[in-house]
Amino acid sequence: MTTVDTGERRRLADVRPVITELIDEATVESIAQDAWIALVGEEEVLVPLPGEPVTDPVSSWVDVVGPWTGSVVLTTDRRTAEELTRALLREHSPGVLEHEDVVDAFGEIANVVGGNVKAALPGSSSLSLPDVGDAPAPRNPEDVCRVDLTWRGETVSISVQGALPALPAR
Amino acid sequence: MRALVIDDSRAMRRIVSGILEGLGYETQQAGHGREGLDVLEGGWVPDLVCVDWNMPVMDGLQFVSAARSNPAWRSMTIMMVTSESEHTQIVRALAAGAHEYVIKPFTADAIRDKLALLGLLPQEALL
Repeated sequence: MTTVDTGERRRLADVRPVITELIDEATVESIAQDAWIALVGEEEVLVPLPGEPVTDPVSSWVDVVGPWTGSVVLTTDRRTAEELTRALLREHSPGVLEHEDVVDAFGEIANVVGGNVKAALPGSSSLSLPDVGDAPAPRNPEDVCRVDLTWRGETVSISVQGALPALPAR
Repeated sequence: MRALVIDDSRAMRRIVSGILEGLGYETQQAGHGREGLDVLEGGWVPDLVCVDWNMPVMDGLQFVSAARSNPAWRSMTIMMVTSESEHTQIVRALAAGAHEYVIKPFTADAIRDKLALLGLLPQEALL
């Protein structure tokens, strides 16, 4: 029997999931809430409402590499990131915060949120060390799951975003 | 009782050390696995090690394997405290010689409960 190569198998292999097929906004929000209560404080809540636009943004993120590859990015105002750092350090917070303190604490929040997002994804993935600075730009607008929340009246955005460009339309 | 807390995040080291000191532990801290081994090689051998997984220089799994290869440190209890929560990773850590696994985010009560299960609550925490 002659087998005709229709290209179907190759096309199936080209299919890769986008994040909205793997995780929803409610799950990301729930992960963030758990991280906030444990790290920032038991009385601290993330309100599921978008606040004012962030004017002086800073982001912390971790990269996930696996069946889905992308980043889990937290973005807020620089002043809010400092406030988060003080909340995290509690009585150990220094009088004057160093930039390194913010990088360390804000990065650790991304690490905890990112680790739990990774665990909610199918298959085995690896997690990078956290990074802090200007957020990586989303490569594919379809491959983004974003929640906008408010902490102490300030906007905190969490974006689970793919690192790969969209596949060509078939 | 003594505990060594190994995590590349200073904030997390402070949080974990604070919980353990509140329970009556004397603590030391290290920023990655290699620094943790340096503490042990310096002769400060704790009852408990709380170690993160993802760290630069030497990660938590490498630390567990190295610590378990030295018979002088066999009495130490090793608890992974990490955001790595995949089942396969937990199995790898336990197979390498970790006794317990705590997933971040955690509460102080979760750490206390794990220590109670391990029989590692200092006398003052039981009062």
